[in-house]
Amino acid sequence: MGKRKDIAVIGYGETKVTLRGGRSSYDLAGEVLEQVLNQTGIDKAKIDGLSIAETMSETANPFWGVYMCEHLGLSPTWMQVNGLGGASGIGGIARAAAAIRDGLCETVLVLASDAQSSYKPTEQGAHRHEFQYPVGLRGPVGAFGLLTQRYRHQYKLKDEALAKLAVTQRNHALMNPNACDKLRVPLTAEEYLKSKYVSEPLRMLDSVMVCDGANAVLVTSTENAKKLGAKKMIHPIGYGEITNFKGTDPLADITESGFTVAGPKALAQAGMTPGDIRMIHPYDDFLIAILLTFEHIGFCGRGQGSDFVLDTDLSYKGTLPLNTSGGQISAGQPGLAGGGLNLVEAVRQMFGDAGERQVSDPRNAMVTGIGVIPYGRNWGVSTVLILEQA
Amino acid sequence: MSEAQKKIPRPLPRVNAYMNTKPFWDAAKEGKLVIQYCKDTGKPQFFPRPVSLATGKRNLEWRQVSGRGKVYSWTTTYSAWPGHEDRVPYICALVELDEGVRMLVNLLNCNSEEVKIDMPVKLCWEKLSEDINYPAFEPVR
Repeated sequence: MGKRKDIAVIGYGETKVTLRGGRSSYDLAGEVLEQVLNQTGIDKAKIDGLSIAETMSETANPFWGVYMCEHLGLSPTWMQVNGLGGASGIGGIARAAAAIRDGLCETVLVLASDAQSSYKPTEQGAHRHEFQYPVGLRGPVGAFGLLTQRYRHQYKLKDEALAKLAVTQRNHALMNPNACDKLRVPLTAEEYLKSKYVSEPLRMLDSVMVCDGANAVLVTSTENAKKLGAKKMIHPIGYGEITNFKGTDPLADITESGFTVAGPKALAQAGMTPGDIRMIHPYDDFLIAILLTFEHIGFCGRGQGSDFVLDTDLSYKGTLPLNTSGGQISAGQPGLAGGGLNLVEAVRQMFGDAGERQVSDPRNAMVTGIGVIPYGRNWGVSTVLILEQA
Repeated sequence: MSEAQKKIPRPLPRVNAYMNTKPFWDAAKEGKLVIQYCKDTGKPQFFPRPVSLATGKRNLEWRQVSGRGKVYSWTTTYSAWPGHEDRVPYICALVELDEGVRMLVNLLNCNSEEVKIDMPVKLCWEKLSEDINYPAFEPVR
């Protein structure tokens, strides 16, 4: 990536997040494509690349990406299905940028669409049949219960910091008409603290609610964006990614994530330090993931996440606005399209389209992705993207 | 919840579903816990893999381990994974074996108030079927 700003994001689309809405991933994607075309005024025939996230609802079909082209009437010269779990959205931008620079295509729809709450999920199989399902770990909720317990042992975890994250994001969701209706109700710190344990010490309100939805951004070269007459554009200037962080260390610290690698890499490419970041849209499957994101990318020291949260104004009017559309925890997690929710909000803010929750001077944004829960370790994929205005 | 009310029974391991894990289950049936070791580096690994995580080679062997360890982390499950409804609340833990690997297991014969991180634990077995002895851990008392 780097400061050359030769790649541009020129449009975005997003459906409303719904709980068991019943529409398929294909149908939801169609709504998003129409939004992108209407917003940018670009002819569909100009889209010659598709970078699409895998799903929980459709990827049992190994031809998912090609079917999507068939459903949307796209004939790309480059197409890729991104299997980075919830990190696929911003990983999809990095891959699109590489494909554009290599001349494989010019204009890429980076798409994520998943109807996880309406369809039977894809079986993940492998070792889980022998070494996880018979134990009864409650999926990601159980894994984050283990992570949270260990974090509490090693560091100071303040409940009031988690409550502040929950309430801040909920207040943002109240201003986001695309957030799931079931979650668009006010939340107090007391209600968060009284929320029942699902996998103690993890509470129900620490967690996302699985929903349906779709989102997309349109990516092209800056040169082509000008030719296409793009009305608005922003630029990816830093990116870091790692899969299976510390995968050969059987005693790796479960509280340490791949953001310790991906964060510094993205910042170095962008020529920035955490203090330069105007707003952050971190992947939030669980509240404690936000805390770890701050620590591991270097916004504060290891174990200082609670104090950093309590000492920082994270509201849309604050010094470091956080997930201003509510994040996945308060807008709903549209399956593996969830990572795109925070991405689209960053683009929307930087285009100045965020309405009553608009951040002032939205000059740059950091977006992160988290994907996949491995056996007994921290999460499987970490991605960090930094976007900047022209 | 009674067994009859459950939608599905507690999941049994699917032996040999992703690689040859039969040596693990054969040993378990005799009350022995075995894990893979890389013969080139001497490093242990769990769960079973097709190659040594250290070298990428298939020069692996199964060795019996002590069954002694300590609690690395744990969580009390109130919302069950399908098939575990009648076990609620139950404890899932990462146990660090003395040999230097972690296992995801149930902690048995103790309650949430007793469990502490770094608490010493030892191997015990749950008989899930005629063929399957499933490893679990319990406090060393």
